[in-house]
Amino acid sequence: MLGRTIFIDPGRCIGCQACVSACRECDSHRGKSMIHLDYPDEGHTVASLPTVCMHCEDPVAPCAEVCPADAILITADGVVQEADPTRCIGCANCVNACPFGVPKIDLDAKLQMKCNLCYDRTSYGLAPMCATVCPTGALFYGTVEELQAERPGVDVSTMFAFGATTVSTGVAMVVPSDRRTPVPGGMLNLIEVNGRPTPGNGAEA
Amino acid sequence: MLRPPVGRASVVAAAVSVLLVVAIVLGSRGLRDFDSALVPYAVASVFLAFGVVYRYMVWVSAPAARRLFREGWRSALSWENLKRSPTALPKMIATYLGFQKFLGARSHARWAAHQLIFWGCLLAAAITFPLTWGWFTFTSSSAAGPGYEMRLWGLKLFGFDSGSFLGWALYHGLDLAAVMVIGGVGYFLWRRVRDRAATTGQRFGYDFVPLLALLTISVTGLLLTFSEMFLHGGGYEFLAILHMASVVLTLVYLPFGKFFHIVQRPAAVGMQLFKYTARRKGSDAEELQACRRCGQPIDTVAAVDNLRATMRDLRLGFDEWAEYCPRCKRVLRGSAYLATVKRGFK
Repeated sequence: MLGRTIFIDPGRCIGCQACVSACRECDSHRGKSMIHLDYPDEGHTVASLPTVCMHCEDPVAPCAEVCPADAILITADGVVQEADPTRCIGCANCVNACPFGVPKIDLDAKLQMKCNLCYDRTSYGLAPMCATVCPTGALFYGTVEELQAERPGVDVSTMFAFGATTVSTGVAMVVPSDRRTPVPGGMLNLIEVNGRPTPGNGAEA
Repeated sequence: MLRPPVGRASVVAAAVSVLLVVAIVLGSRGLRDFDSALVPYAVASVFLAFGVVYRYMVWVSAPAARRLFREGWRSALSWENLKRSPTALPKMIATYLGFQKFLGARSHARWAAHQLIFWGCLLAAAITFPLTWGWFTFTSSSAAGPGYEMRLWGLKLFGFDSGSFLGWALYHGLDLAAVMVIGGVGYFLWRRVRDRAATTGQRFGYDFVPLLALLTISVTGLLLTFSEMFLHGGGYEFLAILHMASVVLTLVYLPFGKFFHIVQRPAAVGMQLFKYTARRKGSDAEELQACRRCGQPIDTVAAVDNLRATMRDLRLGFDEWAEYCPRCKRVLRGSAYLATVKRGFK
């Protein structure tokens, strides 16, 4: 059962980067943004996708599981914290294991950094920085009921398919209400998007 | 899920503790040089040895740590690596473990404070452990003179004048260590109270107790010297017990809290050496794993293979994604959402 969390709706994202700027203001990683904003079909559409940590629940936090130094703590409320700087050895296992491409690494500082759901704010009941500033509601913080009260007819999914494996997460994505199957985590054999070939499948370099 | 090898860890830890007891007995020449007033410290160090080895064994039995442990030692003990780059390992030990260059990249102030604590604790440990085990002894070289001899396992190391600077430094080594530690701890305590980055998610037992423990040890230690110099030994017995209790509790706590990073941190050297040696084997193009979509280098081929094997150990069935860079993973997911969930984001 989802509690208060972030709901991501890429369909509403206008790629304005407000979330990226706001994330930099977060006290636990001042000056560095932990949110990713990508343009999956750059040059052809204005589609953009914000990515925060999905706080995987099952399997619970693959980043923490592959950490050789036990540096990534999952708090009782299900939030996957950024690496404990005392323990992190900067091996990048978490960066490469995360199927969502979330953690960042500073190789000089031997330190991983990632979105911690603005723990300094959310643990006091405040919305994360990104959701606070998002002008279109592409990043919404609240409960499913609050989301559906504002947006009738939408549903959310916390199931993501990576090949044959389904990962369930603490952060959800908005999906059409008739969708029952997991959201694809990315199709490695995706050969075209919106009728055009993808890189490696005939697209111009 | 793999179960931690509790039985094997207990046996190895017990064996190491017994070895330490034997070393104490032999090193103090059959307990002849053993100072019975320091028994609690010696006993605590035996408990410490058990705790550290036990936790270490359990730690390196988890899939990710076990694989890195194996690869790290394989790189460190490889004759071929030693021949090709003999200075790599000593250089990494000096920069990562000694001077902790990576901390400077995090914050200069934290680096300075941590260096004070690190060298202070190292100095204190180098003095305290051999003393409490009866390994170091000081004997006067003549009945009348100021000459003293420092001995290790009963063998003379060097002689010195007790009134000289060396003599003063030797007898106040722990005071010097305490001053260094208090400086570092003071900064970190200030940071724990004032810095919003540090206070986010901090826990009293994990983040404050180690600092308070170091502070208590240092202050009570300095008070012993203060009592001796200015109070004619007033309150010395009480202070000695207070100091002893703080040291013993800290040593027993060491394997179970933040201090365990002292034991874990050398893994950074093993990890770095593993990646460094893989890079040196061939040309970068051969040894770096390129993202299967954009071609950007992700990591060394050996490191990615090691990670994929770890993921399979953990039954994380998406290890194929490790061959894509983080950005491409996100773009692939965005494209799939665009293509199949909300077609054209409508």
